[in-house]
Amino acid sequence: MLDTKQVRGGNGLAAIDAEVDEILQSVEEITRDATKSFFDKYSENPNKAVLASWLETRCWREIDYVFLLNEQIRRYGMRFQRNHITLLAKQSFQEAEHYEALGKAVESLGGIVPTSVPVAAVPWSNFLWECMDRHHLAAIAAWYVSETSASGSFEPTFVGAERHGHTDVVKIYKQIEIDEKFHTGLGRQVLSTYAETDEDREEILRAMRGMRDIAWKSFTPEVVAATMRAA
Amino acid sequence: MNQAAIIPAKNADEQLSLRIERCVSVADGVVALTLAKADGGPLPGWSPGAHIDLILPNGVTRQYSLCGDPADTSRWRIGVLLAPASRGGSSYIHSELRAGDRLVASHPRNNFPLDPAERYLFIAGGIGITPILPMLAELSARGAEWHLLYGGRTARSMAFTDEIATLAGGTLELCPEDECGLLDLDACLTAHEPGRAVYCCGPEPLIEAVENRCASWPSGALRKERFAPSERQTPLDPGAFEVELARSGRRVVVPADRSMLSVLEDAGCAITNSCRAGICGTCLVRVLAGIPEHNDDILNDQQREAGDVVLPCVSRSRTATLVLDL
Repeated sequence: MLDTKQVRGGNGLAAIDAEVDEILQSVEEITRDATKSFFDKYSENPNKAVLASWLETRCWREIDYVFLLNEQIRRYGMRFQRNHITLLAKQSFQEAEHYEALGKAVESLGGIVPTSVPVAAVPWSNFLWECMDRHHLAAIAAWYVSETSASGSFEPTFVGAERHGHTDVVKIYKQIEIDEKFHTGLGRQVLSTYAETDEDREEILRAMRGMRDIAWKSFTPEVVAATMRAA
Repeated sequence: MNQAAIIPAKNADEQLSLRIERCVSVADGVVALTLAKADGGPLPGWSPGAHIDLILPNGVTRQYSLCGDPADTSRWRIGVLLAPASRGGSSYIHSELRAGDRLVASHPRNNFPLDPAERYLFIAGGIGITPILPMLAELSARGAEWHLLYGGRTARSMAFTDEIATLAGGTLELCPEDECGLLDLDACLTAHEPGRAVYCCGPEPLIEAVENRCASWPSGALRKERFAPSERQTPLDPGAFEVELARSGRRVVVPADRSMLSVLEDAGCAITNSCRAGICGTCLVRVLAGIPEHNDDILNDQQREAGDVVLPCVSRSRTATLVLDL
């Protein structure tokens, strides 16, 4: 597999490359640990409702990306090259496909497909939309970190879901894993192409640092348990 | 990496760490490398006609036919001719590699298998003897009838002749060009003979000459293995190029207005992909011959330079034909 961090774009991130990569690496690792921890806990008492609740939060992320990407194009798209508008729209379409596929998985586990922000996803969603309002590249920087965090969750998800016979979940995440390569590559390319000023770079780092501290939390068994208690 | 399953290869993506046991000259310009598993374990099995991808320490990947004994799982053998126009494959092996060096290789694949027949005619040119050598050994062991027509520039440039001479059951016709001229193909390819299988491996002019003489024969009567893709007889439209699917030998034309990926999908190749824009890298395919024209945004300069992988969603070919590991 190729590393999407090496995608060609412009030199807009050159001055902050090291910190960007450090953030991406740390969020991927912490999400991997959180996901593994979730499935370890799930193995102690494999209650489908728990897995459904865990997937509901992730399912919401997919549809929130759809809203966000379309808003990104509406608000800021004319600052971008036309091919990047097309690719952002393509990403949006794939996120909608993921929402549909994950929705089926949630329903098959007896859960309810979210139509509003689940409690566990509120900090994540609020931060993304706040970024959208602040700067034309900030929301992209935030979802670049969030999508990278998801990359860390794949392997433990495959292992954990397969262990309990949830082959449909594995299949869906195999497709999502392929598409995430595109999404993270596109995020990197857009940021490196359009970041021009120190202020742009500071906004990108602010968004990435903020998302690093949020993205992994909904993967933990503790958050899932708290969400279920609240429900 | 995508390796669509036209002829599935077991563990095709898994790489093997090998150690060079021996490196000896077996003819002018030809060295034979004996390769063993670096950890000393058994090597994967193979059958006559199989080849491996050798991934050299300089990043170059080249294909070499296995020419040892398939029953010996402790070692493989390959023969490497120093190609005059070497781009870092054979020249590296000849100048840099020694016994004890480590190499990485793919599992064996076989696009040139030995099929059952009543009798066999083999035509080998130069280093094209390598896939044929284990075929001869197997047929001799079986007591099958075979004839080998083997040509080379000079007698000293023709590898493994001593070994072949010890094989029973067949007849050998050695034809060094400086003594006998070109191989007398007309004498042995006058007509298709039912029950006789013809195998040919060697440089492009030899294969073309054999193909011309067998053009009217039934499909499959001639089995051949090329070192490089053949040239098309009819010219392609500007901007178009041809892709050869190495595992089946099928060829498809990529017109100027279509992507290589979409043409390959139409041809039945299942290739993982997502962006179709040269960003995600998921449609990566190995290039076995030809020079890709890289239009993607993800391969680094070293990967582009090596030319042994391509992203078919956006990339094209700088040569008339591109041979892909599909």
